[in-house]
Amino acid sequence: MSGSTIKVIIGPQHPALKEPERFILETEGEYVVDVKVRIGYIHRGIEKAMENRTYLQGLYLSERVCGICSDAHTTCYVQGVEELLGVEPPPRSRFIRVVVAELERIHSHLLWLGIAAHEIGFDTLFMYVWRDREVVMDLLEIVSGNRVHYATNTIGGVRRDLNDEKIHKILKGLKTLEDRVKEYLRMIQKEQTVLKRTVNVGILSKSDAIKYGAVGPTIRASGVKRDVRADDPYAAYDEIPFNVVVEDGCDCLARIMVRGREVLESIHIIREALKKMPGGEIRVRVKPRIPPAEALSRVEAPRGELLYYIRSNGTDKPERCKIRTPTLANIPSLCKMLVGGYIADVPIVLAGIDPCFACMDRVLVIDREKKEAKVWTLDMLRRYGREWYRKR
Amino acid sequence: MSFILQLLIFPGFLFIICLAFFSEWVLRKFVARIQSRMGPTYTGSGGILQPFADFIKLLGKEDIVPAFAERTYFTLTPLLCLTLPLTALFILPMAGNRALISFEGDLIFLAFIFTTLTIMVFLGGFLSGSVFSMVGGVRAATQLLGYEIPFLLALFGPAIPASSLSISKISTWQAQNNAWGLWTQPIGFGVLVICLLAELELLPFDIPEAETEIVAGWNVEFTGRRLALVRLGRDVELVLASTILADIYLGGPQQVWIIPPIIIFLAKMFACLLLLGYLKTLFARFRIDQVLSGMWKYVIPAAMIQFIILKLIW
Repeated sequence: MSGSTIKVIIGPQHPALKEPERFILETEGEYVVDVKVRIGYIHRGIEKAMENRTYLQGLYLSERVCGICSDAHTTCYVQGVEELLGVEPPPRSRFIRVVVAELERIHSHLLWLGIAAHEIGFDTLFMYVWRDREVVMDLLEIVSGNRVHYATNTIGGVRRDLNDEKIHKILKGLKTLEDRVKEYLRMIQKEQTVLKRTVNVGILSKSDAIKYGAVGPTIRASGVKRDVRADDPYAAYDEIPFNVVVEDGCDCLARIMVRGREVLESIHIIREALKKMPGGEIRVRVKPRIPPAEALSRVEAPRGELLYYIRSNGTDKPERCKIRTPTLANIPSLCKMLVGGYIADVPIVLAGIDPCFACMDRVLVIDREKKEAKVWTLDMLRRYGREWYRKR
Repeated sequence: MSFILQLLIFPGFLFIICLAFFSEWVLRKFVARIQSRMGPTYTGSGGILQPFADFIKLLGKEDIVPAFAERTYFTLTPLLCLTLPLTALFILPMAGNRALISFEGDLIFLAFIFTTLTIMVFLGGFLSGSVFSMVGGVRAATQLLGYEIPFLLALFGPAIPASSLSISKISTWQAQNNAWGLWTQPIGFGVLVICLLAELELLPFDIPEAETEIVAGWNVEFTGRRLALVRLGRDVELVLASTILADIYLGGPQQVWIIPPIIIFLAKMFACLLLLGYLKTLFARFRIDQVLSGMWKYVIPAAMIQFIILKLIW
């Protein structure tokens, strides 16, 4: 304990956190004066595992990086691999990718809205939003056959086609969703208790958002127009006109509104995509061996910019696959948002960036004396693991 | 002999405990239906035995006293959490015009019990030896500063027209003169409902046990038997709160035609319970500073205005 501050430790296990991560808050009374973040509780070694698997097997691994934005991860991965191969996916598959990506964005944002409501103690809204989220989950099941891991993308296109019956069902479901989301947005802007808990809470000014490199809805809620879909269009986003949703509030309410309005925008994008969808093939066959090259692929995941770096070496396995998830990019801004607020506001501010810690955690072994990072091979890791357990 | 039977069975311990379990089930089911959920379904018909099953299960769980906890208060708090509201229910009329125990000035005794309850929550939370329970305990005490004054004002309002400080006499007077507190002093009723929400730590005032912020607040360290007692105590408190509303503002148990007073009383009590449950689902949780400033800015003046109006009329 230093001076009059008390350390309140949030995590690794805490009901406000859906995944283990540790936040050490220095508090004075109910105020937070300093934050220390300790990440790395659920590192899963997916990047390393990808190096030992073929490109097609890596696709299944990348799907499992995140349970919520699984489609964004595969899209990003296959785009990288396609770039390495130099193949162009057929136009119809690019539109199907957009449809699934936007359906996923709707599902992710509704899920987040429910969690945000739960964090401020508004369980009724939480239950209602999650009930309506079932609509979009069902749509995803119609499109892909699965509710969570859609497995739509494959290298060189998509695996399932859309027919008229499916399209009709999607349009019907979207209508219900549109009405409900509009109703929630209207309610949130009027409900005094929600406003009291979110207005001027977790402020991240425009300059800070740029300085700390925030991404996704977090930076768009601070009034910065930044969206990979518009800035660096992929899939079929260059052929579909849409608005980048921006709010100037810089607070938690702005983050709620950005996500809510993005759901409406996504509904619009899906309708346009279904309207403009060309016919033809949905995938092209590709060779399993990939010539040596490197590729950087970017995708706007529901949480923000997702980045894959893939380097090939002429075999059927990648030499390196680096994943940078949006949560990691938002952690510095999160620390900025927490300082100066109340303890009571920590959960909603934490939830404000829509954290997904399991996707984020990485390990870098650093030799403290030599001050350099060490690269471990899988064999070295195995040996280290065996020895570590023997010593216990 | 008949008094002992009354004390032990009806309308004493057994009746109150059953009523407490039943009320918890009603509230859970009601809130669940509002939130478009199912609520308890498994134990008994429609899950009616679920609160009782929870209680039995908790009794069988391991009972842990944290190393840093103050043993005396840690044991005392769950006991008092149950016994204080139980005691308070004896002075409230339920089955007839007169409560089991009734004396001039029992309204003051009721107010005393409510404050003691919060103080026990504060001590139990503060001395549990966990940061979360400490914050929860402090929050409970801070919240008390906000709601205690309007609570007392609203509680004593109905005593003025009845010119008595005995709860039994107040409810009898209201029933006989057909002048329910709800109609004669509606602001006071509103203030009392708000303060009871705060006292019961229901939304939007569940700050001392805010789940997403401080886990379970002041009762985070209680396990096994102690937690079972705390939870039963909360249920009894729920009954107590609705009974207070029914007795002091709705005329309490009264004979209508051939319907016995207890039925009328239960109808009023459950109406109040559902009102509390309904309000609980409508809001997000306030922050502690917002509660304090809101109470002092709006609720206390409202309670005072009600008092002034009352003095002008009577």
